[in-house]
Amino acid sequence: MEFAWTAEQQAYRSHVKGALEDLLPDDWDSHYAPQGYGSADQINFSREFCPKLAERGLLVRHWPEQWGGESADPWEQFILAEEMKWRGEPRGPQYMNVNWLGPVLMKYGTPEQQNEHLGRIRRGEVIWCQGYSEPGAGTDLAALQTRAEPKGNGYVVNGQKIWTSYSRLADFCFLLARTGSARKDISIFLVPMNTPGIEVKPFPGLVGEGHLNEVFFTDVEVPGSARVGEEGKAWDIITYALSFERVGIPRYHVGKKLLDKAIAQLTREGRGDDPIIKARVGRIVAKFEAARLLTYVVVDQRAKGGGPSVEANISRITASEACTDLTNFLMEYVPDCLTTGDPVLREFHRGNIAATIAAGTYELQLNLIARGALDLPRGN
Amino acid sequence: MDMELTSEQRLLVEAVENLGARWRTMPAGHERDYAHYEANLQGALAQGGFLRAGLDMGMLEAALVAIEVSRLPVVTSVGASALVAAALTGDVPDGPIAIVSGDWRKAQRLLAVATHAIVLRDDQALLIDLADVAIEPVDSVCGYPYGRFVAEPDWAAAALVGDGATLRQWARVAIACEAAGAAQSAIALTVEHVKQRFAFGRAIGSYQAVQHRLAQCHQIACAMRFLALYAAWSGEAVAADIAATYAQDHVNKLAFDLHQFSGGMGVTCEYQLHFFTYRLRALQAELGGADGAATGVYDGLWNAAA
Repeated sequence: MEFAWTAEQQAYRSHVKGALEDLLPDDWDSHYAPQGYGSADQINFSREFCPKLAERGLLVRHWPEQWGGESADPWEQFILAEEMKWRGEPRGPQYMNVNWLGPVLMKYGTPEQQNEHLGRIRRGEVIWCQGYSEPGAGTDLAALQTRAEPKGNGYVVNGQKIWTSYSRLADFCFLLARTGSARKDISIFLVPMNTPGIEVKPFPGLVGEGHLNEVFFTDVEVPGSARVGEEGKAWDIITYALSFERVGIPRYHVGKKLLDKAIAQLTREGRGDDPIIKARVGRIVAKFEAARLLTYVVVDQRAKGGGPSVEANISRITASEACTDLTNFLMEYVPDCLTTGDPVLREFHRGNIAATIAAGTYELQLNLIARGALDLPRGN
Repeated sequence: MDMELTSEQRLLVEAVENLGARWRTMPAGHERDYAHYEANLQGALAQGGFLRAGLDMGMLEAALVAIEVSRLPVVTSVGASALVAAALTGDVPDGPIAIVSGDWRKAQRLLAVATHAIVLRDDQALLIDLADVAIEPVDSVCGYPYGRFVAEPDWAAAALVGDGATLRQWARVAIACEAAGAAQSAIALTVEHVKQRFAFGRAIGSYQAVQHRLAQCHQIACAMRFLALYAAWSGEAVAADIAATYAQDHVNKLAFDLHQFSGGMGVTCEYQLHFFTYRLRALQAELGGADGAATGVYDGLWNAAA
């Protein structure tokens, strides 16, 4: 066990910070960052920013050389992710592309799919959305009803997705659809969002801009070549993708930054020495630090070639609790962050209402820990 | 960054585990105690050099020793001996050590069995040889033997062995390590119980209401362990405060849930749970408890420059 960063890792972090200073516009912090990475402004910005990041060799360094990366250590992937998160995630939705969509295609895609999609992702010029949840299937993803019926050499897709972040401006959808009658008879398709029969309808909600959309599929024709993996065998692929997603966003890394903002305001208001605030904030910091270390456990496993593990679920609930405690603290002590206060705090509050639901609810994570770590028996 | 034990660290933990094997259950005659200080284990740890791990190998290794020993139902002064004593500026005592803080008239953990006391007094750390100091045992249900000074010690005669802040920092790391070890064992015991115990025709561990809370307890124990190890490795005061904050703040949750799921068995002395949960209770309020440690976190991060 060794908690120190190597000299190379420290240098890499400095390099990433320097690149962000070079590439982000002067109004990034005031205009773009507060809008959140699902906003139209940030998505459009990511189409300019990610190619520049790619040119500097920073977008997919962790990918194998075969796919245009440098086979960099997964630790570098997380150092990059931490620094991006610190600045408000200027990669926009493309963080998904490089963290798990790309790796899924490397592992399960056909050579044609790899040729078609990995280059675009690597160059930072494509936006994806994930067609997972439906009105009747969220945490219980296997209950999804969108169907892909065989027709000729392809399929015809009918159904509805919901909560589909980024879909309004996405180029492609990583779509889950039922291809048989068994519960887990589900397949994955890579579908261009401009395919006739796809309609996206944004709707208002509590979370930040761009995250809440309905996507309707009406007689959408998808070629068989768009299917990833065998028909009806998507579950392993989904598990693989979700294991990346659950630790994909280093939420722990922004805790200190947001607390800095909150405490700066409280200090200006003469409340910086309030012992109740101190005791409360110290506890929140402790939870964020716990989340950081437990996420590093998962990164370390990946760096050593390990696959999905229960540690990702443990890391996830630790981060969820830290973020929730921070949200509660903001509401109790810095409530004007929702009105006239710092827009970055407001956006954190808005996003956090869904952070314990997306990518498998907090309760689902607990189920997986109960089985995977404690070996507790299933109920009848 | 490497979150797994090195082969050397694994060997160290295995050696401690092997040494402690005979005390995984309470020694004959002590099965129904509230707490049992095990002098033979303390001696074996000292003789084997394990309490010098902090000096010979590093503070991370000392923390590994402290966590591993704290998984046993019997009590030693491993936190104080392996972690706090390693930060003394003078010689390290061989015998069991009590950390004394606050009002000297009050009962202090381990004082009834200690040969030495490290006293955290304002900004000083003092070492008192207890050979000629009158101590009276104090009855307690907490998972450690307690004692108190019969008369106010002669502070002027005590040896100055460091600054109070540094020793308090390491005492907080020791609290976090002992809590992490006790939490692991308390959870393991409870998990085993809920697998065996049936209610309404099912193992109670199959009910989701039980599973969710035990999963939370497991997450807490994992976090306690890594925060304690990081604090020991870094030697940073803020990291020590963070580890103690997290550990002390979560004792309520662990004590409630683990006793709740152990049911009637958990309130008997023949069941081992109280050896761990009541030890956690004893650690919960030390050195200002979670509020005191959390205030240290805040001051360390936001007021250090002021």
